[in-house]
Amino acid sequence: MSRRLARAAKGAVFPEDNDSAFLLDVHRRAVPTEAMPHYRDDDEVDLVIVGAGAGGSVLAQRLARAGWRIVILESGPFWDPDRDWVSDEAGQHKIYWTAPRVIGGEDPVELGKNNSGHGVGGSMVHFAGYTPRFHPSDFETYTRDGVGADWPLSYADLKPHYEKVERELPVAGQDWPWGDPHSYPHAAHPLSGASELGREGARKAGIEMRVGPVAIPNGTFGNRPHCIYRGFCLQGCKVNAKASPLITHLPDAIAHGVEVRADSHAARVEVAGDRVTGVTYLRDGVERFQRGAAVAVCGYSIETPRLLLLSATEGWEDGLGNRHDQLGRYLMVQGASQVAARFPQPLRQWKAPPPEISSEQFYETDLARGFARGFSIQTVGPLPIAWAEHVLADGHWGRGLREYMRDYNHWTTLGLLCELLPQARNRVTLADEHDSHGLPVARFDYTQCDNDRANIAYGTKVLETVWEAAEAQDTLTIDRYAHLVGGARMGFRPEESVCDRDQRVWGLANLFVCDGSVMPTEGSANPALTIMALASRLGERLGKRLVTASAEPAGAASYTS
Amino acid sequence: MARSFREAGHLPKQSADGEPRPPEELPRQRAGLTPQMHGRYPDYDVLAQADHWDPVTRELLESRAREVPPVTVFTAAEEACLRPFLDVVLAQDAEPRIPVFEMVDKKFAQGKLDGYRYEDMPEDPETWRRVAAMLDRVARERGAPSFAALDDEARDAVVDAFSEGELESEDLNVSRAWSVVMRGALSEFYSHPWAFNEIGFGGPAYPRGYMRMHQGPQGREPWERPEAFEEDPVIDVPRRGLK
Ligand SMILES: Cc1cc2nc3c(=O)[nH]c(=O)nc-3n(C[C@H](O)[C@H](O)[C@H](O)COP(=O)(O)OP(=O)(O)OC[C@H]3O[C@@H](n4cnc5c(N)ncnc54)[C@H](O)[C@@H]3O)c2cc1C
Ligand code: SF4
Repeated sequence: MSRRLARAAKGAVFPEDNDSAFLLDVHRRAVPTEAMPHYRDDDEVDLVIVGAGAGGSVLAQRLARAGWRIVILESGPFWDPDRDWVSDEAGQHKIYWTAPRVIGGEDPVELGKNNSGHGVGGSMVHFAGYTPRFHPSDFETYTRDGVGADWPLSYADLKPHYEKVERELPVAGQDWPWGDPHSYPHAAHPLSGASELGREGARKAGIEMRVGPVAIPNGTFGNRPHCIYRGFCLQGCKVNAKASPLITHLPDAIAHGVEVRADSHAARVEVAGDRVTGVTYLRDGVERFQRGAAVAVCGYSIETPRLLLLSATEGWEDGLGNRHDQLGRYLMVQGASQVAARFPQPLRQWKAPPPEISSEQFYETDLARGFARGFSIQTVGPLPIAWAEHVLADGHWGRGLREYMRDYNHWTTLGLLCELLPQARNRVTLADEHDSHGLPVARFDYTQCDNDRANIAYGTKVLETVWEAAEAQDTLTIDRYAHLVGGARMGFRPEESVCDRDQRVWGLANLFVCDGSVMPTEGSANPALTIMALASRLGERLGKRLVTASAEPAGAASYTS
Repeated sequence: MARSFREAGHLPKQSADGEPRPPEELPRQRAGLTPQMHGRYPDYDVLAQADHWDPVTRELLESRAREVPPVTVFTAAEEACLRPFLDVVLAQDAEPRIPVFEMVDKKFAQGKLDGYRYEDMPEDPETWRRVAAMLDRVARERGAPSFAALDDEARDAVVDAFSEGELESEDLNVSRAWSVVMRGALSEFYSHPWAFNEIGFGGPAYPRGYMRMHQGPQGREPWERPEAFEEDPVIDVPRRGLK
């Protein structure tokens, strides 16, 4: 579609080969599963997917459309938003991955509610909803800036999939001037009063902010109701307005023969020779084995390396894909410090979706700043508990804390996403401790490098400048992290990565990794759209047999996309 | 008025002595309850909106507002220390109190986890136990039989040192322990509908949603109530010697 046509059709374009939005029920929020097939454990399906999250669900939907028979094993429950979810910050604790994990290193990253989800839909059930693309530079930071790593594929490889996924979620936002300039299928949402102040302050400080991009349709979308601006996006959208694979990809996948097997925790990927044969999993305390012609591990940046480590076996003594001690390494988080600002008029920052406006003006390297790569700026909308953590982090307790809390409605908050660099020492290993299934839990060590510290410090100064320009009366700052990616990165050679450019684990012809853990760098964009675009690309290539799960090396021709 | 609640002068970082303006100078809560009845939104009761919430959320929040869970995890000695500690860190110096101690106990009784543990820290319930033991030990070093036996000023001093990571402990990383107990306490306190009343939070919003997103009074939903910026004459007039 030409750009002019696309603009005229804003809000009226539906994806061509994904009917999810129309397969949902009009009167209840749960995904209809009456027609879902059930495969026997000993039935060798075409693909076993571990994890019904961003990567796993998109891969399943693409391949189901290509006729593959697929089972998704999901450790968590199959959510019914009407019955299981509440419109409450504390009451939604269950959607997070809260099983034990150990954290270490010099700058440990707190996990739990701040990272991965548990249950059908994965972490996007509680993601904020920002869906920016990566910039073309993200795929070659080593060549351009001498830091990080080059990806074994380019922006051009992902671009058609970015566009496709943006239509499926769909994404709403203003025309996007940064990176590869583009527009969005839905017009930008109206702006809340709280975010207007951020945009105005930024403008005065010489920084451009734009509305979006968010995975919340502007209006209804198929059978999905419109957003009611209630601000609970990080608690799961009871409305079905905010996108998550639970409603954007799994309905269509199920309609095309995918079985989503919830409450099924994968314990091991089984190997025979240079091929995997299926997945051993635990359901109701019973160990079972699902046979599959191929396996895709899509369990999130921590659980994916953990499962591959737990699958160690003869010939793979240190874990699958770990002959060169690469597995679990180069795990990244983004620096996500936030600065809140106080104004005389009430602002009620808890209204409207937390993701509203963003700037990518500082995304690329500018050596005058004294460090490589950059950051983006985005709005956030902390609910009361998150706001209390923010006030605490600024050093308040007792009467001082209560006073800042009572003042909640006068505040608005901007956050950073700083690109922190991949480092071999930041990695997942197995701890001595065991989870409720009796399996060793993950340990995640994290230490920043000097470039990381300089980036976060600079970004925080910029936020302070914005609030000064807006004439804020007081500010409160919290240092935090967001968005884990990496840990099973793709690369050019097995010596420096876990999988190849088709996300196939080196040395195991029919084992794929399809989630955020394959990412070699993280950019300063939120990762979900890129994770989905990667899955869409892999699905297309497998479906068209441009890459096959067979032991024969794929011909050179099949490696051009 | 330098310290009005409308402007920023009532906030600790904007006042000369680093102290907030005393909340006793706000009106008393008139609708529903707030912890200690401070009324920044004196006529706002979020629970009065419960009919507009979906049934699952309504059930959860109404029971949270009603319930004082039984104590089953912490010992009597731990309770004797942690209760006054929580009163200090949450400034709950009078009734009605949000039963944070009981709520924390219930969370541990249910075995609820937060998804991570620092390599040099024990499980969360054990951290709370060791914090209680540390506070009592510090109190003894300062000449009192226990933390509970300290006077207000001495308790504040101990808690202040704790918040700065300045207490000694052989079995705890003290600043991490501060973060664990404070975040545990705040997660309970600010999940309680009385706290929503106090801070003017709209609370559950499904299926009704919010419709007014503007700055200032225009942004108030029809069912929200205005903020009280001015002092309560019943307290203020006698205090200034006018009556
Ligand atoms: C508070 C918060 C806000 C966020 N906001 C944004 C945002 O605005 N924009 C954005 O782009 N990103 C955001 N993210 C991040 C984003 O949600 C994730 O990066 C993304 O969903 C990860 O996708 P994934 O496919 O790697 O894994 P997931 O989507 O997490 O899927 C993994 C699935 O695998 C399952 N699983 C794991 N191990 C096993 C096992 N052994 N057996 C069976 N199943 C298993 C898990 O239960 C889970 O359902 C946010 C995250 C958080 C925490
Ligand atoms: S603000 Fe909109 S998208 Fe977010 S949870 Fe509410 S209805 Fe859903």
